[in-house]
Amino acid sequence: MGETQASEYRSDIHRQQRDLMLRWYQRLEESAHGGPPAVSLMISGNCVELLEAFGAVPLYPEVNALQLAIRHQSLDPILAAEEMGYAADNCAYVKADIGAMIKGITPAGTELPVPKLVLCNFVGCNTYVKWFEHAAEFQNAPLAMLDVPFLRTAEPRAEDVAYIVCQLKEIVKQLEELTGRRFDYDRFREAMRCSARVEEAWSRIKHLARRTPTPFDAYFDAITLMGPLYVYRGSPEGVAFFELALRELEEKAARGEGIYDQERFRVVMEGPPPYPFFRTFRDMFAAWKATAVASTYSTVGGLWEFGFRHDPDHPFESLAMHMLAHNVTNRNYLQRYDQIRRYIEEWDADGVVIHFVKSCRLFSAGQGDMRGYFTQQLGVPTLYVESDLEDPRYFSEAQIKNRMDAFFEALEHARSTGTLHRGAAAIRHAPGGEIAPAAADRLKILQ
Amino acid sequence: MRVAAGVDVGSTQTKAVIVGEDGGVRMLGRALVDTGANVQRAAENGFLEACRESGVEPESVGFVVGTGYGRYKITFGNTQMTEISCHARGAHFLFPSTRTVIDMGGQDSKAISVGEHGEVLDFVMNDKCAAGTGRFLANAAEVLGIGLDEIGPLSLRARHPVKITTVCTVFVESDILSYLAQGKKPEDVLGGVHLAIARRTVSLARRVPIDPGITMTGGVSRNTGMVKALEEVLGTKLQVNSDAHFAGALGAALFAIEKMGESFESGIWRPSNATPRG
Ligand code: SF4
Repeated sequence: MGETQASEYRSDIHRQQRDLMLRWYQRLEESAHGGPPAVSLMISGNCVELLEAFGAVPLYPEVNALQLAIRHQSLDPILAAEEMGYAADNCAYVKADIGAMIKGITPAGTELPVPKLVLCNFVGCNTYVKWFEHAAEFQNAPLAMLDVPFLRTAEPRAEDVAYIVCQLKEIVKQLEELTGRRFDYDRFREAMRCSARVEEAWSRIKHLARRTPTPFDAYFDAITLMGPLYVYRGSPEGVAFFELALRELEEKAARGEGIYDQERFRVVMEGPPPYPFFRTFRDMFAAWKATAVASTYSTVGGLWEFGFRHDPDHPFESLAMHMLAHNVTNRNYLQRYDQIRRYIEEWDADGVVIHFVKSCRLFSAGQGDMRGYFTQQLGVPTLYVESDLEDPRYFSEAQIKNRMDAFFEALEHARSTGTLHRGAAAIRHAPGGEIAPAAADRLKILQ
Repeated sequence: MRVAAGVDVGSTQTKAVIVGEDGGVRMLGRALVDTGANVQRAAENGFLEACRESGVEPESVGFVVGTGYGRYKITFGNTQMTEISCHARGAHFLFPSTRTVIDMGGQDSKAISVGEHGEVLDFVMNDKCAAGTGRFLANAAEVLGIGLDEIGPLSLRARHPVKITTVCTVFVESDILSYLAQGKKPEDVLGGVHLAIARRTVSLARRVPIDPGITMTGGVSRNTGMVKALEEVLGTKLQVNSDAHFAGALGAALFAIEKMGESFESGIWRPSNATPRG
């Protein structure tokens, strides 16, 4: 294949995104010098609105880790952590974060504060627990654990919601003591209102990708928007940014502009990207003019395209619901299947690409079966490639490119013979492609 | 007659096949050379030798498709395709009833589910590590001090194949040495080595549906011991012949004939100092 360069969308959105993220690092630096208090938080189903009520800045170790990787700076801190005794198969995000902490490396070169609280919002991934224990220890900062039960049933149970609400209220007390600031309930509700508007805009952006051609790539471009989504969601800056992004992309869609001069393939992406080779990976899709119309990774922080919004009238309960049920990491595996299936059908995709991350158990365990489910039960072409989201040593360019090219060659051939089906047709075409009724029961997606 | 070529530059060997079409398509000749350090040169040599074997002038070859890991290094190729597509196509040409291809090469092993017309329906490959590939066999041969071509036939003589528990290409050496130290016969050790790889390959292949009509391709298909070990683990016969080793290059040549289409342009052959095309 000829080397087509990815033409990601460049405009005001990108400029503003960069400014916002830079501003975030500046606020963190201010925090290190007596500015607003900082609180460490995990991305998965995060409760950033709670911090807004204190005027606190979120400190996301995952964002720092991925920023290091994307700037090709992750290997040094990973090696530093391994020298300390972290094992080869520990989550590489953890190693990059801890290693960077030890070596004093920061992604933007700005100073990072010692958080007033290391708040482990344990949602879905149990690596978080140990990660935040270590982070608290190394920074000599207090630690709080928010225990969010894993979602095993289709609907969250009332006891689970009450359990989380009760914990959130305890955290509020703890934060009042640690920051010396009073919990501002009005500001909290205002943050919920901002979040709901951001979620509405973000969700509409995602629904724009249902068009052919899609005006934005719901994996690679979505990742650009995810920083502001997690840092600024509960703030007026977040609202302004996402409403601008929506306008721009709507205009682009109205002009009928896609990612490439001609969109050839539409895929659903599963799994985090290989950040150390982000550009290289993107170019492998670009070579085939393939766009991601939807991705599960962009729903780690929250799953809003199916309708959930934070509710200013029930702020604590809706925070709990968000953490419990409306992010991909805390949902059960069959719900992830169904999420992808809906993307294929409603976002009109030709196939699925799974990027398996060697050091991330949470996302990757079971992806072999997932591949089997999509290819064999639903008859949807599904590619499986392996590397890592943070550790550059696991990326073998020639091997991954080979698999990608073979996958798209097969799709192209199928199209030339009229046997490639898109969207709902792709699934209906499968021999016996129905989910067993017992499984379907547990699968009901939450609205 | 329209003539086209496929060149498969693999990690250890380079294969080239020339096909001709007048009425039907047939294979005119084939060549095999070691890849070595100069990939570009290997591709050229393979191509020229296959031309000689076929009795065609290099200039009369209308289209060349490159495949294998070195495919982008073939300066005289018109286009490239992955060896996954090419092996499926080549295997289907050799055995039209092919529905599953097991390809074992120097550093790769893969299973491909193939449609009625030789198209790829699904595929799986071993990951980054060389466990369960030709490399593993080569290491075992080296430790035993036996030529690579002899290990297959020798393994067929195993009466009590040993149990090899590792599929790691590095650790298998110590496993073999300890069996030899225990006085096990080389054929029993080799029997165990072949079975270990066969089991690993079949468990990989089970991730695509293994439909009947299983064709084995790639360099390891010449190893009679491996064919038998795979048949034993699968519980069924494999389709394999002496051309199966060339299936990738053959598939590439078949795509080349197809792609040549109407725009037949003669004389695309250029020596390597010419600028790359495509
Ligand atoms: S294991 Fe995966 S989900 Fe968990 S912290 Fe690491 S990257 Fe994130």
